[in-house]
Amino acid sequence: MKCRKYLSMIKAGIMEDMQFRGAIIMTFFGNLLYLLLAFFLWKAIFESSDSPVINGMTFSDTIIYLVFAAALFNFMEMWTVWNMGRDIQDGKIVVDLLMPCGYRRLRLFRGLGEVIVNFFTTLLPTAIIVYFISGKAIHLGLNILWFLISVFFSFFINYYIEFIVGTIIMYTESIWGIDIMKEVVVGVLSGAMIPLAFFPEGFKQIALALPFHAIIDSPMTLLLHPEYGLTDVVNILAMQVLWFVVMGILSDVFFKFSLRRITVNGG
Amino acid sequence: MEPIIQVNNVTKEFKVLNRSEGLKGSIKDLFSHDYKIVRAVDNVSMDIGQGEIVGYLGPNGAGKSTTIKMMTGVLKPTSGSIICNGVVPYDKRTLNAQNIGVVFGQRSQLWWALPAIESFNILKDIYLVEDKDYKDMLELYSTLVDMDSIMHKPVRQMSLGQRTLCDILASFLHNPPVVFLDEPTIGLDVAMKAKIRELVKMLNKEKNTTVILTTHDMGDVDALCERIVIIDKGKKIYDNDIEHLTGLFGAYRTLSVSLSKNKEILTKEELEQMETSVSNLLREQWPDVDMPVSIEDNEIQILVNEAFTGVVKVINAVQDKYKVYDMHITEISTESVIRKIYDGSKIVK
Repeated sequence: MKCRKYLSMIKAGIMEDMQFRGAIIMTFFGNLLYLLLAFFLWKAIFESSDSPVINGMTFSDTIIYLVFAAALFNFMEMWTVWNMGRDIQDGKIVVDLLMPCGYRRLRLFRGLGEVIVNFFTTLLPTAIIVYFISGKAIHLGLNILWFLISVFFSFFINYYIEFIVGTIIMYTESIWGIDIMKEVVVGVLSGAMIPLAFFPEGFKQIALALPFHAIIDSPMTLLLHPEYGLTDVVNILAMQVLWFVVMGILSDVFFKFSLRRITVNGG
Repeated sequence: MEPIIQVNNVTKEFKVLNRSEGLKGSIKDLFSHDYKIVRAVDNVSMDIGQGEIVGYLGPNGAGKSTTIKMMTGVLKPTSGSIICNGVVPYDKRTLNAQNIGVVFGQRSQLWWALPAIESFNILKDIYLVEDKDYKDMLELYSTLVDMDSIMHKPVRQMSLGQRTLCDILASFLHNPPVVFLDEPTIGLDVAMKAKIRELVKMLNKEKNTTVILTTHDMGDVDALCERIVIIDKGKKIYDNDIEHLTGLFGAYRTLSVSLSKNKEILTKEELEQMETSVSNLLREQWPDVDMPVSIEDNEIQILVNEAFTGVVKVINAVQDKYKVYDMHITEISTESVIRKIYDGSKIVK
């Protein structure tokens, strides 16, 4: 039973996360604050505009999108960059490298517990609240299934990107700047902070060519556009699968290359 | 018997940047390709058998940790080869990890926020330990240490000693054939050190586990190791049992004599006078032999090399001239021998 080791790591992650009740509450209020801010900001934007629809989105469309995107973004947060950085800086990575389990997998499963907690503390309650407050504006149908499939790939693409950024710390040995940069780049280019529909055309094309949009924009599109036909859905999911494979290989190769460089040259 | 770890002519070189001084220098360094090669481990070979406890010693920066890291598979040797349990550790790190246990001094492998028992349960699953073996191991542990007092405490609230104890228990949990302990007693109090030595010794005996131990505490060496390997500046300079070590510089013994009925009231001048006259006496008697005389604890101490003069002869010589009120003879300690080796670093066969 090989999956026993992974289940056990997930369980440990959940238990570890539960130890810090304070943090769960703080994250909840932090998110609330962010959403309030977004609410008034976008309210101002829509009030200053002549038409109630901007770039094909109404005010309530935008708010539903932003609330969901923020919840999704927080749901996937497992502090990979931060934890890897700390491991690398204080040398604790040596201990993890000596576990009978590859490092990328170890980090993934140790973080997965937190993600599961996040699901029940952020994503699920947000989904339920938004559904009822918005007057059932979210269509309940196949789009939910597409959304869930899409989130699965989003999660891995996000993890692989974080893992690549974490690996870069082996070279730079500074965490803070890199982590902030990642937060901003992913936050903007994934569509978590501003819906991609609001981007200028050229910028939007660039964003769509990069892997980041597959993290938030793809699942949100599938959720909020139940009218999409099967070809559209397959197109979006295929793009995600492509990035899933590409980032998966890239993160693995880059980490192994970096590790070899360090084990050969010392670090 | 086939050795469990074979280290063959292993050399490890690091490429380090030649750093320049000052702010201008650090800016220049950003673009510098001026590397120098540092040889951390230089052609070291050793075979370690199943069930041995080997003390791996050397001054700071001698290359101990580098060797350990190569044996565990975290670093790859520049040349030479290592085989541990029939596996090349640096090629098959994850596979090798299943067969070894490691404790790195201050770095814990336990889950920080959880009680130790939870970490043990997780490690049991990670190393795929059978339920029965795990239960047996915990039973064995509870006969060796007081488990109840530590097992249910979160690791982050433990004292350093308790955490080290748990880390050592964790490293033996999957019953690996080899355990590496890198400075396990660093920063611990006397009682905890004794406890940990006792524990390692018992586990070694019970499970016939090979233990490779690096330490700066000669107490660890005296208590645990039958064999010691010393390296300095990357080169192996000693590899034999501990008895040979004390004989390394000749058979030294320390003779302490008290030349006054009440040694506590002696003044410094009186002592120094005694020291000089004893020293002169010895030089008269044995003009060719160097016998250092010193004052320790208000007594006269003479370091005698028994290869040249018998201790008894020295006692007689002193007694002829002075009245000896008290005397005792001590063996030279492992610590002083090691210190001599580190200071001299000469290669000894």
